[in-house]
Parts: sequence; C-alpha cells; structure tokens
Amino acid sequence: MSSFIDYTVNGLVIGNIYALLAVGLALIFGVANLINFAHGSVYTIGAYVGWAAITFLHTPLPVTMAIVFVACALLGMAIERVALRPLQGNARIAPLLATIGLSFVLDQLVQLVCSPDPRAVPSDLPNWRVAIGGVSIGPMDFLIAAVGIVSATLLYLFLRFTKLGFAVRATAQDREAALQMGVNVNAVNSAVFAIASALGGLGGLLVGMYYNHIDPAMSFQATLKGIVAQVIGGVGNVPGAILGGALLGLTESYGIALFGTTYRNLFAFVLLIVFLLWAPNGLFGARSGISAEPLVGTFVAPSRPVRLPRWAVAGLTIAAFALPLASSSPYLLQTLTNAWLAAVLALSLTLVAGTAGQISLGQAALLAIGGYASALLALDLGLPAIVSLPAAGLITAALGTLLVFPAFRLRGHYIAIATLAIGEIVSLVILNWEGLTGGAMGLAGIPPLSFLGHDLDSNRAIYWTCLSVVMIVALLQTRLLSSHLGRTLRAVREDEIAAQSYGVSLDRYKALAFAFGGFAAGVAGAITAHLYSYLNNQTFDAQLSLLALTMVILGGMGNVLGAIVGAVVLVGLPELFRVAAEYRILIYGVVLLLLVRFRPQGLLGTV
Amino acid sequence: MSLLHMLRLDSLLRSAILATGLAALGATAALAQAPSGEPVTIGVSGPLTGPNAQYGAQWKKGFDLALDEVNAKGGVKGRPLQYVFEDSQADPRQTVAIAQKFVSDPKIVVEVGDFSSTASMAASPIYQRAGLVQFGFTNSHPNFTKGGDFIWSNSVSQADEQPRLAKYAADLGFKKVAVLYLNTDWGRASQKIFSQAAKEYGVDVVASEGYQPDEEDFRSTLVRVRDAKPDAIVLISYYADGALITRQIRTVGLKTPIVASGSIYSPKFIELAGDAANGVFTETNFFPGESRPEVQTFVSKFKARYKEEPDDFNAVAYDTIILLADVMNQYGLDRKAIRDGLAHIKDVPSVIYGKATFDPETRRVAGARAVYLVIKNGQFTLWDGKKPSAT
Repeated sequence: MSSFIDYTVNGLVIGNIYALLAVGLALIFGVANLINFAHGSVYTIGAYVGWAAITFLHTPLPVTMAIVFVACALLGMAIERVALRPLQGNARIAPLLATIGLSFVLDQLVQLVCSPDPRAVPSDLPNWRVAIGGVSIGPMDFLIAAVGIVSATLLYLFLRFTKLGFAVRATAQDREAALQMGVNVNAVNSAVFAIASALGGLGGLLVGMYYNHIDPAMSFQATLKGIVAQVIGGVGNVPGAILGGALLGLTESYGIALFGTTYRNLFAFVLLIVFLLWAPNGLFGARSGISAEPLVGTFVAPSRPVRLPRWAVAGLTIAAFALPLASSSPYLLQTLTNAWLAAVLALSLTLVAGTAGQISLGQAALLAIGGYASALLALDLGLPAIVSLPAAGLITAALGTLLVFPAFRLRGHYIAIATLAIGEIVSLVILNWEGLTGGAMGLAGIPPLSFLGHDLDSNRAIYWTCLSVVMIVALLQTRLLSSHLGRTLRAVREDEIAAQSYGVSLDRYKALAFAFGGFAAGVAGAITAHLYSYLNNQTFDAQLSLLALTMVILGGMGNVLGAIVGAVVLVGLPELFRVAAEYRILIYGVVLLLLVRFRPQGLLGTV
Repeated sequence: MSLLHMLRLDSLLRSAILATGLAALGATAALAQAPSGEPVTIGVSGPLTGPNAQYGAQWKKGFDLALDEVNAKGGVKGRPLQYVFEDSQADPRQTVAIAQKFVSDPKIVVEVGDFSSTASMAASPIYQRAGLVQFGFTNSHPNFTKGGDFIWSNSVSQADEQPRLAKYAADLGFKKVAVLYLNTDWGRASQKIFSQAAKEYGVDVVASEGYQPDEEDFRSTLVRVRDAKPDAIVLISYYADGALITRQIRTVGLKTPIVASGSIYSPKFIELAGDAANGVFTETNFFPGESRPEVQTFVSKFKARYKEEPDDFNAVAYDTIILLADVMNQYGLDRKAIRDGLAHIKDVPSVIYGKATFDPETRRVAGARAVYLVIKNGQFTLWDGKKPSAT
C-alpha cells in the first residue's frame, strides 16, 4: 500500500510538467481559439536557448530563466505577428494549419543549428531530496511546481482584475465586439502569445534540466501531452490546466502501477476520451466561458471552388494512366504510387472533414486497421488479395465508425482532439495486443498483391492498381457529393441544429460519411501492407494523420480533385526538395506557411 | 579602396592556386595508385532529419572515415568509392521511393540502410525484385534478412548479444533482475532472447517493463521495478534513453546495480547520465581501449578527424564501408557480383567482429567480439572481475 503513495507522488511530479505545458496552450486557446501545434516547438527552443546560455555564458539559473523567458516571449510575438496575424478574418482552420507548418520550420531550425544529437543541460540547483513514502522529490520538482502554480495564479489574477486582462477576455469572447469597444485586439493577441510562449520556453528549460536531456524531437510529445492536459482541465481554462496536468500525471502513474509501462499512454488517451464524452468542458466546465463552438462556415473557409472543365479532368486522368508508358523511371512511378495511396487517404478525410465537417486528426489509424486486417487475413487464413482487400475495407469501415461513434456529439476542435486520441489508442492497442498483431515485432512476410494468380510486382502494375483505386473512390465520392446525401452532409457541416430541425438524423449521416471514408482508407492501408510486406505499430503514425489533414486543407476542404492534388503536391514536394538534403523539411514547412497565408481556402477551394 | 581590394583578392587567388597545386603535387607523390575514373557509388538510405536524425549523423562520420581510408589505398578496382546519402527520416513511405531511385540508377552498385526495421523492411521487396543488395547494418530484426537473397546484414545478432549480457549478469552474481526494454522490434526481440538466456544461467527475471522511444519519465516504472525487489536492473536501451533511465534510477534513490546492453556504449551515455553513470556494467562489441589493431587504427583515426570518441554507431558504419569495399575489390563491381561476394568473402578485418564472415544461409555474421565493461569515474573501463557487494 505504501507504493500507492509513491505512485501518487510520481503522478503529481510528472503532472507538474504537463501542467506547465498546458497553461500556455490554454491561454492561447482561450484568446485565439486555436490549438497551437507550435507550442511544443517553442518549448524545445526554450530548452536550447537555456542550454546555450549555460554552456557558453555559464549563467546561473535565475539569469538563464530570465534569458529564456525574454527570448521565447519575443519568439511568441514574432509567431503571432508573422504567421498568425495576417490570417485574421480567415477560417479558423488556417491558423491551425499555420501552427503545424511553423512547428516543422522551428523544429528543423533547431536541428540544423544545434545538431540532432541529444544534449545534457546541467543544473546548478542543490542536491537535497525530501523523502515522501518510498520516493523522494528534489528542488527541481518544487521549482517546476512553483513556476506552474505561480504563473497560473498570476495569469488568473491578471485576466480577472487588470484592464489588459479584461481586454484579453473581451477579445476571447467576441473579437469584433472588442474591436468596436476600442480594444487593441492585435496588441492583446501579441501579449498573449508572448506570455504563453515565455512560459512554454521556461517549461522546456526546466524539463531539460530535470532530465538532463534535450533533443530537437522532443516537441511533438510535449504538444500532445499539453493538449490532453488542457482539455481535461477545460479548454482555454488557465487554472484548470494545472489540475488537468495533475490528473493526467496521476492517471498515467496509476496506469503503470496496474498494468505496466507499455500501457501508460493508452491510459492518458482513454482519460481524454472519457473527459471529452462526459465532461467536454473539462474539470471547470460549468464556469468555462467557451460554449459550443459556432462552426457555421467559420471553421472551414467558404469559397467558390475552382471548377476544372470536364475535358481537362478527363485529359489529366488519361495522362496519369498513360504516364507509365511514357516514362519508365521507377522512382517517378513509386513516388506517384505513394501519392495515389495518400490520395485515397486524403479523399476519405476530405469527405469526413470537409464535407461532413468532422475534422479528424486520427485518419492514419484507419490505414493501420485496414493494413493489419488484410495482412492478417492473408497470413493467417491465406486469403487472396482480391478477397482480403475489400474485406479489409469493410472491417475498417465498421471498426472505424464504431470507434468514433461516441465522438459524434462533439464539434469543432473537440472532435479533432478526440480523433487524435482515438488514433493514438488504435496504435497503442496494436503495440500491446501482441497475440494478434505481433506488437512491436510487427507482421513480416506479408504476401505481395496478386490477382487471379498473377503477382503484381512490376512498378507499372502497382501504379495502375493504385491509380484505379483513386479513380474509383473519386468517382463514387463525386456521385455521392452531388446526390441528396452530399447535400445533407454539407447541411450537417454548416449547421447541425438547423439540419436536425429539418429531420436529419445527425448520427446516421455522420456514420455514413465515416463508413465510406473508412472503407477507402482501409483499402489504401491494405494495399500499403502488401506492398511493404512488413507492418508494425510505427508504420502509420500520428504524423501521417497530420499530413493527411494538410493535404485536404491544401486541396480545399471537401474538394475531391483538391484532395488528389493536395496528396500529389505534399508527397511530391519533399521528394523534389531531396537535393536540399537536411533542409528539405524546412523548405516544406515554409511552403506550407506561404500556402496557408496566400490561399487559405486551398488550391481548388472548398466544396 | 577598390584597388586595394583587387590587389588583395589577386594575391589571395594566387596563393590559393599555388596551394592547390602544391597539394595536388603532394597527393600524387604520396599515393602512387590514386583512384581514378568514374566513381563507384553506394546508395545510403537513412535518417538525416526527423526523430532519428542523430543516428544518420553518426553514420556519416563512420562512412567518411572509412571512405578516406579506402580511397587512400587506391579505391575499389582502381576507381574512387563514394556514397550518396538520401534522407528517409526512417519513414517507410520515403524508403520505398528511395529504393526505386537507387534500383533504377545504374551507378548504384549496393544499398546500405535504412535505420529502423519499419523503414528498411518496407523497401526490401523492391531491392529483392531488382537484384540490388540491401545491406542493413543496424537491422537486428530476426526477419530482416529473410526478405530474400539480396538482403544482407552485419548487424550484431541479438541471438549472440543478449545471452552474453545474461551471462554477464550471472557472472556478476545477480540472481533476480528486472528488465527495462525499449518497446520497438529491436528491444522486444532482445528482451525475449535475454529472458530465455537468463533462465539458462539461473537468473530470474522478476519484472519486464517496455517503454516507448519518446518517453522521458520513468519514476512510476521504477516503483514497479523496486517492488519486484531485483538484485539488478537490466537496461535494453540505446544511449539516450538508457542515460535518462540511469539518471532517474539514482535520482529517486535506488541503489540497485545496473547492467546495460552494449547498445548504450557511447561517450554520450556518460555525458547525459552524469554521475549516475558510474558503476553501470555493460558489454560492448567495440571498445576503444582494446588492443586489436582494427580497433586501434579506427579509434586513432576517428579521434584525429573528429576530436571525439567514437561510439557503436560510428563503428558499425565504418565497418560496413570497409567490408563492402573489400567485397568489391575481390569479387567485382556489379550488383550480382557483390551479392555473390558477400556469400564467399572470408575474414574481413572488422572493428566489431575481429574477422567477419557471413553465413550464406542466414546472410548474417555471427560471433561479434565482446568485452565486459564497467563505468568508473566517468570512463568506460574493462571489468576487473569484482562482483558488487551483495547488499
């Protein structure tokens, strides 16, 4: 039983760190109504600035903290000014995407400047420990807790009782109204980003010292855990973020106690789902100022889609099919094959996110389900691909819809966070269900694609197969969009309540969208599995889900042709920049930022 | 002012030309058979960006060192050897594209990499179909070389490595151990083999905890480990995560001895773990203090060039180029000749193996060298045979 106390203390210690991340995210969400995916990158930069100060200037801790605070505050202001302010008035999806692009750019810059090697961050804190039960805590634990709690308290007081605080809250409630009342909205946003980023950077420094370890790849996990903690605390609620962090830490710690270390993140994400379903406003839900988000037309950029004439589409299709006859470069064919497979994923997502308005950040999980389903059917039952591919599609449609079904009552950002969590849960179940999936060892020796006894092993055959799947899905989806089904789905996207009052059963139509999308993504995952011959829990990761969403937004939400174009561009760009070696992901991030800035409705516009 | 500039530029240019001329002269004088002609190209697929970028950077150092050595000795068949490094981010979607790029480029005679099994094995069917050797040197997944007769690896087999670690734990006098392993294909495979071998040596595995590569907090895991009351904690980790855990074990006040697999062997481990590293037992395939000539040449050249101690990844990367150059020199430069050469070549001098010879059936090398080490005063030192006191 004494261990129980130990697990509790440990949970609170790690919860401390999550809280520090969540406070900044909550502040930004509260004011800018934005999940800041670049927050983890600011956290990383804070850690590196601190490391540089300690290593080269030999600064004592208070000075280091001051340097990091100021540097990251400036960085936050720069992010707001350069990347986000120009997007004001655009759909809210634009800044979300901009932060994703920014995170690529910032992480890559850190890696280029400081090398990818992990670094040690020495701390000059004294070495005493206080024993609690069987474990102990040290000065760094107190410092992290103090920074978290003090900053949350100060922020709370600041927001509640100062004039600028009123302005911040007014801006959060209604930007236009605040503007009319004479609030300098831009200055408010700038201040908020400065404070949040300074705290984020400080968090990075302290955590780096705590573990004596920083590396450029630490940002994604930090963002993820920070988001979970702040949703639990109540989205946009600053004091709630502290409690959210603590609760997340405790859940993980008890999860480890009960089932072992491999289940840690599973518990974190299940907790998140539980909160989203039963208390979507978090621990402080009742008092949270953010009501259901008005998704009507504001999340997805409204625009007139670019209509390509029929002959142009037909011409492009014929050109795509004829390409292998003209060029036999396997590299080109493979890159395009990858793009076709990505296009199927993007098509499935554009239906769910664009047409039905259910932004999903877990779409890669559908690929994983489809891939494993087909691989297992082929390996264990010896089914041929012609049976296992459609079967994988059906399994994915059923399982995928079932998994997101509970999230159907959520909206806007919440559904994005829920699907992100569901995606992680699928990947963690694959890792831990060794008996079925082989766990981390994965599935090897998956047979190649074959139809009627003929192995499809030439690059051309594979290319044509994948392209055909894209075409079939695209044609079906176009039909669907122009039918009453498409109109109903768009009605659900524009205004759920209005749609409902017209007698539309929301759940049924959302389920239809997810099932169709699931089928397509499942088939794409299955094809991938047979092409790779090997799958494990890392084959379809969370980054891929983000990439899919980027493709969809780039092409234009709900736009069938746009999804295909988006996939080709985003699979093609990093390959084109291959000559730039280490710089290519940086360039990719910059291109993404520019696209969001100058064409937020996507290349071909929203349908 | 502009005149002054031009004058300076002129003299600068002139001295530069002079210097290059001299250098060229010196080079030709020193090397009677400097390689000439069309370079022979190895295609490398590996992470230069993304979460595993640090390992790609380590590879490069090993490759460059080996290339200098090969080319200084006349290259391969009189032609200079070089590599092209394509960044894959260790992402299977990119390794397959790179694979197609390599197989369709007639200049590439052999492929090396990728880093993770997820990324490498996705590309194996392409290399196998095209008949280009995929040479994975960090791929310990037991199924990697089963991808076909063009898939080879000189990665140290965990079937060799882990029983040795288990024996070390037994030799140290531990009866009950708790295992912390990296929950990837490598870590999981290692952990299984270790547990089995430990049983044979009479060592009980009282707890096994798998952790994710991006995890940083191990405090609660360590409570589980503590409650299992082991004599020692066994780490199946890479250096970065191994250092994180080692540090936390000591920070939370556990005094339990630590035995770590050879993959933590890196000066970085000591830097990151700090004082906590002292007393950690490990074994390694490659130890700069070893007197074997292969090791000594490698270490002294590496230190001279990079002003730092080499680690395990540097060593395997170096070994791989030396090995492939040897195969090319003996058996020829075309793709199939290299495949056949790998099956026939015997006793290539190797930092990791001493002498490397492939088993043509498994397409792997057996018998990696190993020495027992313990960290003392922030240095890897040979184990003196002293068992830790039984408290």
